[in-house]
Amino acid sequence: MSNLGSREQTVWAPFFGSMGAAIGISLSALGAAYGTAKSSTGICTAAVLRPDLMMKSVIPVVMAGILAIYGAVVSILIIQNLSYELTAFQGFVQFGAGIAVGFAGLAAGFAIGIAGDSGVRGSAQQPRLYVGMILIMIFSEVLGLYGLIVGLLLATKATA
Amino acid sequence: MASYATSAGIGVGLVTLLALYVGMTYCLTGFGFRFDVGWFLEAVSPYQWACTGIAMAIALSVCGAAWGIFTTGTSILGGGVKVPRIKTKNLISIILCEAVAIYGIIIAIVLGNLLEDFDFYNASWEVTAANYYGGYSMFGAGLTVGFSNLFCGIAVGIVGSGAALADAQNPTLFVKILIAEIFASAVGLFGVIVAIILVTKVKMGKSASI
Repeated sequence: MSNLGSREQTVWAPFFGSMGAAIGISLSALGAAYGTAKSSTGICTAAVLRPDLMMKSVIPVVMAGILAIYGAVVSILIIQNLSYELTAFQGFVQFGAGIAVGFAGLAAGFAIGIAGDSGVRGSAQQPRLYVGMILIMIFSEVLGLYGLIVGLLLATKATA
Repeated sequence: MASYATSAGIGVGLVTLLALYVGMTYCLTGFGFRFDVGWFLEAVSPYQWACTGIAMAIALSVCGAAWGIFTTGTSILGGGVKVPRIKTKNLISIILCEAVAIYGIIIAIVLGNLLEDFDFYNASWEVTAANYYGGYSMFGAGLTVGFSNLFCGIAVGIVGSGAALADAQNPTLFVKILIAEIFASAVGLFGVIVAIILVTKVKMGKSASI
């Protein structure tokens, strides 16, 4: 049988695993930070107009924070399977898991930030827009959830 | 009449073209084996990986904290011209940005304490692999902490800036916007948690084996 090489333990395989963990949390953190910051500028503007709607307007910030949790979950799951005796296959799978959750979290964070910014400003002026904003937030959050699902599927394949 | 975006696009295009040309030359002349990622990862010393990680941890965290502090600071000082009462309460935002730098230095010190020498030429495969694993993990942990704190610092700065200006308009708003700021600083905390979990398995040195 030909040895395809990816099932042998190599010294450099943990590099890809550790890079997967780093990219997973870092890019999700970027998405979460962007979502928080962008929607907070809208919240601060809207709160001056309608201080009573302030607590309802924090929804985009909460949903952006959840993206960082997705990234942390997948990264921690990747780290559970890391060791110095790692096959190349495991390393590559962990790298893929990290990229999956990282870029998905980044995209979802951008969507939540930009849509949330407009949403809170609009729903301060027109209260009937609030439900629409929530629906848009949910659809944006689901993008990050897809990344989490793929990341979990990949990361659980890397068991020794 | 080319804008910055156009020149940046041309630059990226030229670099990509050069990379493609060099890559195709290697492939088509039978020297494709020279592009060896595995060789590069093994040839670079594990201490280079580890120390780059430590450097990134502190450097990027401090950059994030600085970015946040100047973003918030300019808003506080600008708004404080008309409304001087905001200056004391909004120092909380500055302190939250500073916390990000403290996360970075804590991780850098923790990683620095893990560095230990090993005998490269006489070591067994176990010891070599464990030390390389340590190097890669410390690089990953450093990048994790560095980048999460960088993004967290910028976000806390932007939120703090909005909080200062809203506080200037209406004093009751500050505490509510602080909730959003705490969510923003939690992002950096997740990076620190992941980095700590990553380095608990690291054991470098002559007697390394997990």
